[in-house]
Amino acid sequence: MHPIVPWLIGIVVLLPLPLLMPNAYQQYIVNVILINIILAVGLNIVKGFAGQVTVGHIAIAAIGAYSSAVLSTKVGLPFWLALPSAVLIAGAAGAMIGIPSFRLEGAYLALATLGLAESVRIAISATDALGGAIGYQNIPPPFLFGQPLDTHASYYYVVLPLALTAMYFSFSILRSDIGRAFKALREDPLAAAACGVDVRRYKVIAFVVSALYAGCAGSLLAHMSPGFIHPNSYTITEMVTLLLMVVFGGIGHIWGGVIGAILVTIIYDLTRDYYQYQMAMFGGVVVLTVLYMPKGIGGLIDQYLVRRRFNAIRQVKSNAA
Amino acid sequence: MPSGMRLLLPVVALGLGAAAAPAVAQDNIRVGITLRMIVENGLRYGQMTKEELEAVNATGGINGKKIEVILLDDECKPDKGVANVNRFIHQHKVHLVIGSTCSSVSMPMVDITAKEEVPQVVPHSTNANITKKGSAWVFRTAVSERFYASVHAKYLSENVGKKVAYLYTTDAAGIGFAKDYMSFMRKTYQTEPVYEAQMQETDLDFRSHLLKIKSFNPDVLAIGGQLDAIARITQQSYEVGIPSRVRRVAASAASNAPVPELAGDAAKGLTFAAAFSCKDERPVAQQFVKLVQEKYKVRCPDHDFSQAYETAQLVKLALSRASLKLTDAALADDRRAIRDALASIKDYHGLASGPISFCAEPTPQCRDGNRTGILVEYTKGGKDYDMRVLARVSFEPDFGLDK
Repeated sequence: MHPIVPWLIGIVVLLPLPLLMPNAYQQYIVNVILINIILAVGLNIVKGFAGQVTVGHIAIAAIGAYSSAVLSTKVGLPFWLALPSAVLIAGAAGAMIGIPSFRLEGAYLALATLGLAESVRIAISATDALGGAIGYQNIPPPFLFGQPLDTHASYYYVVLPLALTAMYFSFSILRSDIGRAFKALREDPLAAAACGVDVRRYKVIAFVVSALYAGCAGSLLAHMSPGFIHPNSYTITEMVTLLLMVVFGGIGHIWGGVIGAILVTIIYDLTRDYYQYQMAMFGGVVVLTVLYMPKGIGGLIDQYLVRRRFNAIRQVKSNAA
Repeated sequence: MPSGMRLLLPVVALGLGAAAAPAVAQDNIRVGITLRMIVENGLRYGQMTKEELEAVNATGGINGKKIEVILLDDECKPDKGVANVNRFIHQHKVHLVIGSTCSSVSMPMVDITAKEEVPQVVPHSTNANITKKGSAWVFRTAVSERFYASVHAKYLSENVGKKVAYLYTTDAAGIGFAKDYMSFMRKTYQTEPVYEAQMQETDLDFRSHLLKIKSFNPDVLAIGGQLDAIARITQQSYEVGIPSRVRRVAASAASNAPVPELAGDAAKGLTFAAAFSCKDERPVAQQFVKLVQEKYKVRCPDHDFSQAYETAQLVKLALSRASLKLTDAALADDRRAIRDALASIKDYHGLASGPISFCAEPTPQCRDGNRTGILVEYTKGGKDYDMRVLARVSFEPDFGLDK
C-alpha cells in the first residue's frame, strides 16, 4: 500500500466532522486545532528533529499572516495565490532566522531568535500600513466558485487538507535522508559533520521547512473569519503555548506536535472559564511535564509500544519453548 | 492505518467529547461578557458588570426572567476575544454580548456580532472606527476618542498654549491619543508639534526624549500610553528638569488609580480627559463611589468602573423594554428586540457626565451614545491622591466625523 493511502482515508473519514459538531463554536475550535497542528508540526521539525532551540517560530507565523493579508487586500491576490506567496515569504524569513544558528547554539540561539521575534512584532506595531497597534482588518476569506468560505464549517474544508498535507510531508521529510541528517545534527553536530552531513546546509533547511509551515498557519489564521490580525497575537506568550504543544505532545516524536496541538488547544478552551488560574495551570503543566514526562505523551506512547513488542516477543519465545 | 494515527484517534475522540457543548438554560436571558481581566482592576470591572446584571435575579429577574451571565477574560488579545465571542454566540447562544476593554479586541468582535446579528455593547473601547464599521448591532457606552481628543486639546490651547511636545507608546491608546491631539491642533490652529517621538510599550527609560523636549521649551507635554508608561514619563519629566509650568496632559488611562500612586508627587498637575470623576458631586455619582468603596475596596473608582456599571444599567433597561420569548426558535427575534430596545434609549442620565442617547441608524452619530467628556487634573499624587474637574464638554453627535 502506498504511504499516502492512509492519509487519503484520513481525509475521507474526517470530511463529515463539521456535520457532527453540535455548533459553529466547535467547528471554530476544530479549525484552530488544525492550524495549531500545522504550527506545532513545523516547530517540531526544527526543534524536535534538528535540535535547534528557536523561539522565533511565532514571528514567522506573523510574517505569513501579514504577508497574506497585504497580498490579498492591497495587491488584490485571491487567497489561493496569497497563501503560497505568504508561505514562500515566510520560508525566506526562515532562512534569515536560520543564519544565526551557524554560530550559535542552545540558549544563545534561543536569545537571538527571541530578539528577532520581538523585532518583528514591534516593527508591525509601529507600521501604520500594517494596521499598527490597531490591527489589520477586512482580510477577505477564500472564495471557491464565487462563494465565500467565511463560515467555520466551510473554512474547515480549506484547513483540513492543508493540515493533513503538512503532516504527511513532515513524515515524508523525517523518514528521508534529510530527516536522518536532522537527527544526526540534533544528537551531535560535530559527529554529524565528521560523517559527511553539511551542518550549515541542513540547519538552514530545517529553519526554512519549519518556516514554510509557520507561514501557512499564519496565512490560514489571517483569512479565517473575522479576517483580523493583530501584533498582540504573536507575543512570547503565544510562543510559549506553542512550545508547550510540542513539549507536551513529545518533543522529537513524530506525532508529538499533532497530539500536543490537539490537547493543548482543547485544554486551553476548557479552562477558559477559570481565567484567573489559567496561566498558573499552564505553567504548572509545563513544569510537571518537563519533570515527570520529559518525552511528553509521545514518549509514553513509544514506551507502551516498545513494551508491548517485547512482551509479544517474549510470549512467542515462551510459547516456542 | 499507521500505528501513530491509530493512537491519535482516542486523543481526538477524548478532546471532542470533552469539548461537547454544555446544556443551554432555557427561559433565561443569557449575556456574555468579555473584558481584559489580567489586571487587578480589570477583574473588578468584570465582576461588577456580572454582579450588577445578576443582582436583578434576587428580586425576581427582569419581567420575571432571570439573567445568566458568562464572564470571560480576553487578556486584551484579539484572538482570545474572537474565541470568546464565538463561544458566547454559538455555544451559549447568548442574547447579548458586552465587550471589550481594548479597541483591538472590540473591532473584530463587531464584525462577528454584525454577521451573527447579536447586539453588542462596548463598555470601554474608545477607538472611533468601532462605530464607523456600519454595524446595526453595536452600541458604545464609552466616550469615543473623537470626542476625547478635543476636550483637552481645546481647553489647553485656549488656556495654556499651543506649543505641544508629544511622547507616546506604540499601543492603540497611546497612538490614538497623540494622533488625535495632533490632528486637532493642525486643523484648528495650523500648529505642528514642537517634538514627537514614539516609544515601545515595554520601555522604561524615556529620559533621552524628555531632555530633548526640555530644550524645545513647550507649553504642553502630551503623554500617550497605558498607565505604567504615563506614570513613568510624568515622573521622569520632573527628573530631567522640565518645569512645572509645562502642563502634562495624558491619555484617558491616566484616570486609573495606579497612575497617581506610581507617579507620586509628579502626578500633581497631570491633566486628562475622562468620562467620570469620583469627585463628581451628583448624588448618583457619590452613591456609586460609596458602593465601589464598600464592595470592591477601591477608594476612588475610575471611569472604567463607572462605564462598566453604566453598561450594566443600560443593558438592564433595554432588557426590561424588550419583549422576549426566550425560546430557541425565537432567539433571533429576541436579539433583534434587544437591539431595538437599546436603540430606543434616549437621554439616559446616569454616571456619565452627560446624557446617553442611542438611535436606530448604524452610524457613529447614533451608536456613540456618550458624548460628554470631562477634563480632570490631579491636585495631589501618591496613595492619597486627589483630583478636581477643570471642564465638562458635551459634543454634537457628528463632531469629529468627516463631512
